[in-house]
Amino acid sequence: MIDQIAERTFGPITRTDIVRYAGAGGDFNPIHHDEVFATAAGYPSVFAHGLLTAGVLSTFVADWLGLANLRRFSVRYVDQVWPGDSLVTRGEVVSDDGERITARLTVHVAGADPRLVLTGEAEGQR
Amino acid sequence: MSRDRLVGRRLPTYTFVVEAGKVAEFAAAVLADDPVHFDAGAAAETGYDGVVAPPTFSAAAQSWGRPAGDGGLELDLRRVLAGGAEWEYRAPIVAGDTLTVTGEIVSVERKSGRRGGMTLITRENRFVNQRDDLALVVRSTLIELDDAPADKGDEA
Repeated sequence: MIDQIAERTFGPITRTDIVRYAGAGGDFNPIHHDEVFATAAGYPSVFAHGLLTAGVLSTFVADWLGLANLRRFSVRYVDQVWPGDSLVTRGEVVSDDGERITARLTVHVAGADPRLVLTGEAEGQR
Repeated sequence: MSRDRLVGRRLPTYTFVVEAGKVAEFAAAVLADDPVHFDAGAAAETGYDGVVAPPTFSAAAQSWGRPAGDGGLELDLRRVLAGGAEWEYRAPIVAGDTLTVTGEIVSVERKSGRRGGMTLITRENRFVNQRDDLALVVRSTLIELDDAPADKGDEA
């Protein structure tokens, strides 16, 4: 039985989490780990890789719809995730014909005024 | 800085061996705790031949397996942002697999947005395993801003 709406919070995302992802994913763009480089480029600090947020969302989706059932997963990056941000991953089923299930996904940064950082979609096989 | 000529450009083909340790490391980095990523026994119980890669594991293959560089795009990293990505799953990717990855630039678009003018470059990568099964298709979009946030003197 798949919940029509599911939600899970991860984090807060630390600089260590960002560095761990840099190593695991092999993305050493200094904008994500070198504070001097990031501030010189005009950002207030380093920020998380878009793929780290996407990866965390995929963890939520795999647990929700079943890893083996996942057929398609897509993301669109909306805004940056900064060190200290907690991520609220959320999925809502938009169609389910008994064979294919399609869900709309969002990631917000937790807070009094949640900030949308990523949108996505997933398709699973029943 | 017209990049239209990039459409159809093939990216260098490479192979990537899926190692159990890398799968576990990547799974931990995306805050996954499903034992099928960490424990061969748990993976076997679920019907996998080895620990299974998380859904976005292709990112590791593309960074660690691909020849160095950005495929001749000559990107200025101060002006590059991730736009989005789409994964199509055809067959599981498990430890022990050898993936052959072919890629091509499928579209280049110009847009204006909140951050000014930008170029959207979309690449498609296809991952074929040692059994010749297409396991995964990934399309990902890079955004190249015309101006870095620092060059504009305003909030990004």
